[in-house]
Amino acid sequence: MNRRGSGLGLFALLVYLFLYAPILVLAALSFNESRSSALWEGFTFAWYLKLLQNAQVMQALRTSLIVAFVSTVFSTVLGTAAALAFHRHRFRRGAAIEALFALPIVVPEIVIASSMVLLFAALSLRLGLLTVVLAHVAFSISYVVVVVRARLAGFDRTLEEAAMDLGAGPWRTLWTVTLPLCAPAILAGALLAFALSIDDYVITSFVAGVGSTTLPLQIYSMVRSGVSPEINAVSTLLLLATSLLLLAAHLLERGKPARLCAAPAGLGLALLAGPFLIGGPAAAAGEKVLNLYIWSNYIAPETLAKFEARHGVKVNVDLYDSNEALLAKLQAGNANYDVVCPSNYAVAILARQELLHPLDLTALPNLAHVDPAFLDRPHDPGNRLSIPYFWGTTGIAYRKSRTGPIDSWAALWEPRFKGRILMLDDARETLGIALLLSRDGHGVNETDERALRQAKELLLVQKPLVRTYNSADFDQVLLAGDVWLAQGWSGQFARAMDEDPDIEYVVPKEGSSFFLDSLAIPRGAPNPALGHAFLDFVMEPEIAAEICMTMRYSTPNRAARALLPAAIRDHPAIFPPPDVMNRVELLEDVGDATVLYDRLWTEVKSAR
Amino acid sequence: MTARRQALLLLVPAALTLFVLFVLPQALMFEASLGRRSAYGGIVHEWSFANYARALEPLYLGIFARSVGLAALTTGLCLALAWPVAWWIAFRVPQRHKSALLVLLVLPFWTSFLVRMYAWIVLLRTEGVVNAVGVAFGLPAFDLLYNDLAVLIGQVYGELPFMALPLYASMEKLDRRLLEAAADLGASPLRRLREIALPLTLPGIAAGAVLVFIPSLGAYLAPDLLGGAKGVYVGNLVQSQFAVARDAPFGAALSFVLALLVFVAVAAARRPLAAARGL
Repeated sequence: MNRRGSGLGLFALLVYLFLYAPILVLAALSFNESRSSALWEGFTFAWYLKLLQNAQVMQALRTSLIVAFVSTVFSTVLGTAAALAFHRHRFRRGAAIEALFALPIVVPEIVIASSMVLLFAALSLRLGLLTVVLAHVAFSISYVVVVVRARLAGFDRTLEEAAMDLGAGPWRTLWTVTLPLCAPAILAGALLAFALSIDDYVITSFVAGVGSTTLPLQIYSMVRSGVSPEINAVSTLLLLATSLLLLAAHLLERGKPARLCAAPAGLGLALLAGPFLIGGPAAAAGEKVLNLYIWSNYIAPETLAKFEARHGVKVNVDLYDSNEALLAKLQAGNANYDVVCPSNYAVAILARQELLHPLDLTALPNLAHVDPAFLDRPHDPGNRLSIPYFWGTTGIAYRKSRTGPIDSWAALWEPRFKGRILMLDDARETLGIALLLSRDGHGVNETDERALRQAKELLLVQKPLVRTYNSADFDQVLLAGDVWLAQGWSGQFARAMDEDPDIEYVVPKEGSSFFLDSLAIPRGAPNPALGHAFLDFVMEPEIAAEICMTMRYSTPNRAARALLPAAIRDHPAIFPPPDVMNRVELLEDVGDATVLYDRLWTEVKSAR
Repeated sequence: MTARRQALLLLVPAALTLFVLFVLPQALMFEASLGRRSAYGGIVHEWSFANYARALEPLYLGIFARSVGLAALTTGLCLALAWPVAWWIAFRVPQRHKSALLVLLVLPFWTSFLVRMYAWIVLLRTEGVVNAVGVAFGLPAFDLLYNDLAVLIGQVYGELPFMALPLYASMEKLDRRLLEAAADLGASPLRRLREIALPLTLPGIAAGAVLVFIPSLGAYLAPDLLGGAKGVYVGNLVQSQFAVARDAPFGAALSFVLALLVFVAVAAARRPLAAARGL
């Protein structure tokens, strides 16, 4: 090889390194003893063991594999057939047909996703496994067609013609000559379809419903607490399984003996089948099921197991990461959940649209344990529709060794912290604190356009100082040392404070907002009686205390608080002192002003 | 049974699936884009073009321009990285290693894009892997994360194989004798690249450009995660209309403007693609 040739080879090597650098990192982190994925602290297999015990992740993996397998089979069959059709015949209106098959490739994912939701709602198709599979089949077909057609383009037609001349009909020719010859391309198309399906987040998140949380959805909702090493472990295993299968296919293609190929193929298939052998089926036939749609990291699997044991039922958990995702699902009217967890303002919106099932308070005796301060609020007078579950405040968490004590939102505008400030990526929260700072007596629920525009100006002034806007894993960014001050919600910061004593949390003196997340039963829930049982279960003092212990958000349950250890009962982030409670305001729905909030926030974020 | 009837029978299932799951929803989407948002985030079906007028306001046009810029840069960089690699695989690597090297290009796609983006965060953050290596060699630590460069890295990373594969496919078909003839006739390497290799791989370049440019227009994960959400791209904008502002009609109108952009881009690439089929 000449000198120029080796230069090219070096370049290619660097490009492959670029492609594999993140893969190496995630594989390495899956063996790292440290949970916060910043530093190497020693080798361990612990995350792989934890992965096996994490029922939710294993369930999501099973769902992903089922969806990927079924949609791959269908899209490969349909796509291969279509490719053969193009090969056999030159259609009239060829351009229109070509355009139809180009659609899934050229239409951006987000457009496909949102339009499919409209379709499924129009057909009143229940969102779930079926809609996810349909969507995946639809977007994979075209890729299979492209791959198989590419192979057929360089095809020796004389073989087919010979078969026909020898008396084989068109189907026989297809089956015995054409198909075997393009088998490698069909396999390649199927592998591509599988990869597309198993990695899809955007479209799946729009069309998923009961029992169809796939691995990417699960991962996305777990991101709030940082990508855990378990996720890296499951990714590494998937990659290993795929590599083994591809290796087997490669050996087979090169004409190696079958027993040599059998080892990697068998190992790869065993890895993929593993989740089905370990976890067992989702629910036995005839067993009652409670479908719970809740924020990620809001209830521990152990707690759910207790409910399952007591009532002899199976709890199906699907996760979301914003109230708006929940509203969209319930407003579309084709998701069948028994219990959901909207924030107070979302309760108000759902109530006005009559999307919640009225509660039978006689079936909820444990409501007596709840602090009256959280009952009978304007969003749900008399708690006819919802019960309070968790609450928390918005405040600043800061690295005190770097910043010194902080007590004002104005700290987030101080030039000395330039590039070390994190703000929530949330129109209401950011404009909310800018309103509080404007000193004209504006609250966080302001709808006056002039006041909001002034608040926006304040955020524009702040933007050059901000390192990042983030409302998912803001606590992790603070822990990793990328920022020193972060606006965020108390529960996540409480967990961060446990990990790093240098982190302090404050609800600033100007005031702030707080949220109240409730449990409610959607109208049309398949099993409202079981829903009531679940609501009453989580209000039992022991259970409520356990939930607060594991999740670190503040419980509104007075009896439960008394059961908590002092470290949590008096934790400044979890249960702030009364003077803090006097200066926080509940975030309410702002109606039509939502559009204005969104627009102003877009202006802030798109400013240079 | 005629070959034509057989072909029709083979085509209909896939075509019908695509019609129901892609064409019908687009019609529904267009109808929604003419409506307006109800106070609770539903759709009021009173038709007007108000959403399109709003989509053409300077604020949103600026966001469109930014997205086109990102998509163009991503496409250009992918081409610059993928072309030499595809050439290397097509002409410098022994036949028996080719398929393995091609598979290695796509293998990372069997892990979630999201997980790979988080791996990039670990690489690029202030106390991350890249800086740790740099500091070990006596360099200062840089703020590599949460800027436009990080967004570009993430995008290029995600789209690179979609450029490399069609490039390779077009190089495979290339008649080597043309290159040899040019070399024999004394053309310099640069001239052979400019006048023979690039024009002959134009179909692959066009196909790759379409496959990279279009998804990049709708990108929203890389801007959010690696860019720190400090810039808004169309993908983020559309996503936030559906998922935050609950303004589906405006989101639908934005989607249609985006689709229009895509069709313009595809039409622009059609000519080289069509010319390519003639080769």
